[in-house]
Amino acid sequence: MKLELKNIEKSFGEKQVLKGVSFCAEGGQAFGLLGRNGAGKTTSIRILMNVFPPNSGEVLFDGAPIDYKKVQFGYLPEERGLYPKKKIIDQLVYFAELKGIGHAEAVKSVDAWLVILGMAEYRNKRLDTLSKGNQQKIQLITALAHDPQIIILDEPFSGLDPVNARLLKEVVKEEIGKGKIVLFSSHQMNYIEEFCDSIAILNGGNVVLSGRLYDIKRNYPRNRLVIRSMQSDEIFRAFGERAERLDTDEILLRMDSPAQKQDTLRTLAETYDIDEFRVFEPSLNDIFVEYTNKEV
Amino acid sequence: MKQFGKILKFELKNYLQNKIFVGVTLFLVVAIAIVMFFPRLTSFFQNDDVDTGDTPPEDLPVMLIVADDEKMHSMIYDSFSAAFPEYQIRISDEGLEQIKNEIMEERADCAFVLDGLNSYTYYVNNLSMYDMNASIAADLLQSIYRMSAMIGGGLSPEDAQKILSTQITYRTENLGVDQMENFFYTYIMIFALYMVILLYGQMVATNVATEKSSRAMEVLITSANPTSMMFGKVLASCLAGLFQLVAVFGSALLLFNLNVSYWGDNPIVQSIFNMPIELFVYMLIFFVLGFLIYAFLYGAIGSTASKLEDINTSVMPITLLFIVGFFVVMFSMSSGDVDTLLMKICSFIPFTSPMAMFTRIAMSMVPLYEILISIAILIVSVLGIGILSAKIYRIGVLLYGTPPKIGAILKAIRKA
Repeated sequence: MKLELKNIEKSFGEKQVLKGVSFCAEGGQAFGLLGRNGAGKTTSIRILMNVFPPNSGEVLFDGAPIDYKKVQFGYLPEERGLYPKKKIIDQLVYFAELKGIGHAEAVKSVDAWLVILGMAEYRNKRLDTLSKGNQQKIQLITALAHDPQIIILDEPFSGLDPVNARLLKEVVKEEIGKGKIVLFSSHQMNYIEEFCDSIAILNGGNVVLSGRLYDIKRNYPRNRLVIRSMQSDEIFRAFGERAERLDTDEILLRMDSPAQKQDTLRTLAETYDIDEFRVFEPSLNDIFVEYTNKEV
Repeated sequence: MKQFGKILKFELKNYLQNKIFVGVTLFLVVAIAIVMFFPRLTSFFQNDDVDTGDTPPEDLPVMLIVADDEKMHSMIYDSFSAAFPEYQIRISDEGLEQIKNEIMEERADCAFVLDGLNSYTYYVNNLSMYDMNASIAADLLQSIYRMSAMIGGGLSPEDAQKILSTQITYRTENLGVDQMENFFYTYIMIFALYMVILLYGQMVATNVATEKSSRAMEVLITSANPTSMMFGKVLASCLAGLFQLVAVFGSALLLFNLNVSYWGDNPIVQSIFNMPIELFVYMLIFFVLGFLIYAFLYGAIGSTASKLEDINTSVMPITLLFIVGFFVVMFSMSSGDVDTLLMKICSFIPFTSPMAMFTRIAMSMVPLYEILISIAILIVSVLGIGILSAKIYRIGVLLYGTPPKIGAILKAIRKA
């Protein structure tokens, strides 16, 4: 399974929100859609789900224009909310039925999910009697109960306590294991880093970076070294502008090119007492900040 | 289509499980029951009274009559007693002040002080809105005057009586529609339409806006086709409205038939329950179509409001449009001429035709082709407005913040 957005453009009135967005998510993998507030993530997701059409560009599923009658989506929106005054089982079954599955099947599936998420005791309660985190777990069921091929989770971890976050992680991993396409949108980079094989970073309606996370990190200029030493003060002074303090005894050294690495290391090892050194690999957080800070 | 069915079922269940909806319906049915049983109950109590015998004359309120001409006393007494059986008539020779005192102290209910047979003063403590005594007395005195004049001219009292009591018999042969007979159910239908549209329209708008403000919309809009959503919601409210009307009017009909003998010949009630079946079918058609066209508009408006508080101001133009139509129809109904140019125009405009055309059908003769054209325009408009409102809905529900202007929405629809 492969889901592809190609050159999607979308304007609302005068404002162009998407300026040619392309990315590709594959089955059995989690894909992270990142971007600052207002970068166009939700608009991309809505176009992906056919809430409104793009001005230009296309959505492909396995290489052909997507047929929304055949491909099922599961969606956990960032703005959460269901019917507060309705019984949980009733509304969950309704939402599952809207997605096209039969009544009996819907009841069975919803009940199974209530058990998995530890919410079975709330089955016949009204939604507004639940805490926010529990309401969110209920809403997650609307994204999963109809067994969709594509699952889109917008900020799924916000508002969950660590135990529930772990439960959600297990559920998501299981869905990925079934070969589904799971699309994450989040600001919590640690979760994205943990789950996602591929990412796309949106900024100002453009994709500024996309690809496999591993490749992105490997291809990052390897011209920086992290040095841990008891003599960090001396090193810091010796390297002047090229040095940056990371921790009490950790220094980040920037070189003009990765080729200078050997020489620099040799010099350091001869002069100072080095406890540890490694090539600096940026975290997703660093990459995100770097790519979304410029050219807004 | 399957999705539409699910939505319809869910929304209809919403109404039927709503405690307020059920409560209001039950209340209306009970109120109707009380009205329908009213004549039976009153006759039940009146029968009690009859069993214990007539009210003794001493208990009746006293009506005092002051007349100078003593010769006339017996005739006046007889005719007043006959004309006012609910009073105890007393001929008095007291002075004006005494009479006034008696009335003020409630020893007498009212008094007629005659100056001859041509003029009198009516004294009463509190003049009720429905007090007809003075005009009855005027008629009485007129016939007494004529009678005494005729007797004075040489006629025998029997002949004079005969001349005065001559009755003219007549009959009317109506070749068209009896406006009087149709007036009441036309009135009821127009009023029911008015109530139901304003009430349910608001409910549809609130329903949509609630989904939006609770953000349930975010899931709905990605799960269901907006056209199915809109049509499902509106048709569910229409069915709920019809259900309520059937409950109310059905129970009214049933209870009326249970009590039909007690209602006797009350022409208003008779005319309401003897509505021709053809007119009933027209009523149903115009009611449903009229309901739908407004419910779609209300739904579309509801989708553009982000807060429930915004709805009241947003729906104002539609409500006004409807009220204007309502008043045009009401005024022409009460004027008796329902075929004015304005009414003719209104009976083809889809927003007013449900009320205007139905009124014309009921209270005048309208050619069949005009009716069919009006219905056809209405059906096409309902579908058009329905699809348009579904489009507004799809765009509206995702807009948060201040409600957008109509122009901006229409522009967005054209682009999408």
